[in-house]
Amino acid sequence: MDDSRPIFLQIAEQIENDIIDATTPEESQVPSTNEFAAFYRINPATAGKGVNLLVDEGILYKKRGIGMFVATGARDTLVAKRRDHFTAEYVQPLLAEAAKLGITTQQLAEMIMKGTVR
Amino acid sequence: MTAVPALAAPPAFSRVWNVVRLHMISKNTFIVIPWLIIAGATVVSLVIPALLAYNGVSRADISEGAVNSWAVLSPMWYLCAVAVLAIAQFFPFSLGFGVTRRDFYLGTSLVFLISAIATGAVLATLGEIETATDGWGLGARMYTALFFDQGSWIANFFLFTVIQLGILFVGAAIATVYMRWRMWGMLVFWLGSVVVIVVGISAITFSNSWTLVGETLASLGVMGVFAWTLVPIALAAFAGFFILRRATPKN
Amino acid sequence: MSTIIEARGLTKRFGSFTAVDDVSFTVEENRIYGLLGRNGAGKTTIMQLLTGQDFATDGSVSVYGQSPVENSRVLSNVSFIKESQKYPDGIRAKHVFAAAPNFYGNWNPELAEELIAEFRIPLNRDIKKLSRGQVSAVGVVVGLASRAPITFFDEPYLGLDAVARQLFYDRLLEDYALFPRTVILSTHLIDEVSDLLEHVILVDEGRILIDTPAEELRGSASTVVGKRVDVAAFVAGREIIHTDGIGGLASVTITGQLSPAERAAATAAGLELAPVSLQQLIVRLSSHESMEGTEL
Repeated sequence: MDDSRPIFLQIAEQIENDIIDATTPEESQVPSTNEFAAFYRINPATAGKGVNLLVDEGILYKKRGIGMFVATGARDTLVAKRRDHFTAEYVQPLLAEAAKLGITTQQLAEMIMKGTVR
Repeated sequence: MTAVPALAAPPAFSRVWNVVRLHMISKNTFIVIPWLIIAGATVVSLVIPALLAYNGVSRADISEGAVNSWAVLSPMWYLCAVAVLAIAQFFPFSLGFGVTRRDFYLGTSLVFLISAIATGAVLATLGEIETATDGWGLGARMYTALFFDQGSWIANFFLFTVIQLGILFVGAAIATVYMRWRMWGMLVFWLGSVVVIVVGISAITFSNSWTLVGETLASLGVMGVFAWTLVPIALAAFAGFFILRRATPKN
Repeated sequence: MSTIIEARGLTKRFGSFTAVDDVSFTVEENRIYGLLGRNGAGKTTIMQLLTGQDFATDGSVSVYGQSPVENSRVLSNVSFIKESQKYPDGIRAKHVFAAAPNFYGNWNPELAEELIAEFRIPLNRDIKKLSRGQVSAVGVVVGLASRAPITFFDEPYLGLDAVARQLFYDRLLEDYALFPRTVILSTHLIDEVSDLLEHVILVDEGRILIDTPAEELRGSASTVVGKRVDVAAFVAGREIIHTDGIGGLASVTITGQLSPAERAAATAAGLELAPVSLQQLIVRLSSHESMEGTEL
C-alpha cells in the first residue's frame, strides 16, 4: 500500500488491473471485502469503499447472497478509461524526461520502434 | 444524537456479586492466610500449656494465665492490611472492568460482612469447643480468652464479628482517603486524627472526667461498648462510600 | 451510522495544568478510530473521561446518549484496556480471564483461548512476575475477547514486541470484520496502525488538531523535492508544513491533494513528488502547530 493516495483508490486500481489483464474475467467473482481487508491488512470499511467505487462505476455488481462479480463490458470500459489517461500518465512524463536528457523526438520514435520488437 | 436501542444494565445484585467474586478470586486473601495465622496462634496456645502441664503446672493455674492471651486477635493486623488492599488494589482493578464505584463499594462491603460473619461464627464455635473440652484438655485458653467468654455462642459471635467489621470498615475508609486525596489526604487525616485524640484526651483530663468515663464503660459492659462501636463503624462505612464516589484510579 | 459517543467542550484541568482543552468530537458506531498524538498530548485523559474513570472539569461526554460516569448501563458495554492497568497482589492471568466473562456479556471463551495461546501468556504465574509484554498481552486478550460494543485500547501494546503487535492488529481486524464494534485505539506508533484506521483524531497539547476520515488524510500532503528555486516557485501560495534542505536542494511538505495536472506540472519543472505517510503528516502537522511563524 502506497502512502501517496487513499487506499480505497489503490484497491480499486488493483481490481481494475486484474480485470484488464484478464486475471479476473468478466462474470467471475472477485474476493469479498473482508478477504481484501485481511489480505492487505487494512480496515474493511476502506476495502469496501474501493469495491463500492467500482460498483458505482458499473465495473462490478452484486449478486445477493453470493458476492461481487465483474460486469460484462467492464474490461472495455476500463481500457477506454485508461487510454484517456495514458497521455497524462505516461506520455507527458516521457516527453519531460526526454527533454531533460536532450533526446529528440526522432530518437524517441526510434526507441519506441526498437522496444516494440518482440 | 440518533436514538440508540434501550440499554439494559445487568441486574444490580449480579453486578455487586461480581465484585464479591472478584475479591474472592484468589482464595488466599480472605480464607487461607487468616486461618494460617490463627492456626499458628493456636499451635502456640496449645504448646505452651502442654509444656507447662508437662512441668507440673496445674490446669487451673494454666487457665488463669491463658485468660489474658491475645492470640485470638493475631489475624487482626492482617485483616487491616486486607481492608486497605481491598480498596487500594481492587478499586483500580474493578474500574478496569467497568465496575461503577457504587457497585464496587457495595460489593466490597458485602465481602467484609460475609467474611466477618463467617469467621466470627467459626471462632465462636471454637470457643464453645474450648469450653466444653476444658481448654482442649490442657486448660489452655485462646478462643475464650480476654472478654470472649460472654456465656453464649451468640454473644461471643457478636463480639468477634464486630471487631472484624470495625477493622475492615475503618481500614477501608482510611484507604479511601488515600485513593481520593493521596499523600496530602493521608497527611491531613493523620494530623487531624492526632489533633482530635489529643484534644479529646485533654478535655477529659482537664474536666476530671476519667472516672466518669470508666464508670460509663463499666455500666455498659463489654457487650454494650461493642454495640456502641457499631455507630462509628457504620459512619466509617458511609464515609468510605462517599469519599470513593469521586476517587479516580490515578488522581 | 449513528453517533455513539459525543464530547462537547470537554475540558480537564489538574490544578493549573490543562490536560484536555475544550475538546469536541463525535464517534460513529462500528468504526475503528485512531486517537493519535504525542506522549502527554492528552489521549489517555480523554479516554478516561469518555469511560467515566475521571471527571470532567468542564464540558460534557455522552455515550449512548448518556453520561458514562457511574453508569452501569453504559459501562457494561464498554471495555477500556490500558497499559497502566494495575493488578492486585496474588492475581494470576487465569484469574483475570476467569473474571472477565462476568463483566462482559459478549465474552467469547474460544477466542480468548486462541489468543492466550498465540500470545503465549503463562496462566498460572503471578501477574507481578510477568514480563511487560505478557502483561500487555493479558490486556489485549481481554479487550479482544470481550467483544464489547465499545472497546478502547489505550496503548496497551507498548510492551509487545513487533511480532506480537502485528498479531494484535491482525486479530483485531479479523474479529472486527466478523463482529463489527466501535474501536478507539490510541497510539503514537502511527505508521503501524494507519491502514487499520477508518477515522483519525489527532490530539496535541490537549486540543484536537485533526478530526478526519483516514482516507481523506492519505494523499492530502506531498513532499516536493528539487532545486530550491524551482521548489519555491511551485509551493508559492500553498500551505507549508515542513521544510528541509541540503545545499541547493530543498524538500518542502505542502498540504492539499495535487491534481494530475499539478503533478504533471511538477514533473515538467524537474521536481520530484514524494508521498507523505500518515505518521510523517502527523509529525509535521504537530510540530508545525508548535512552530508557527517559522520561515521557509
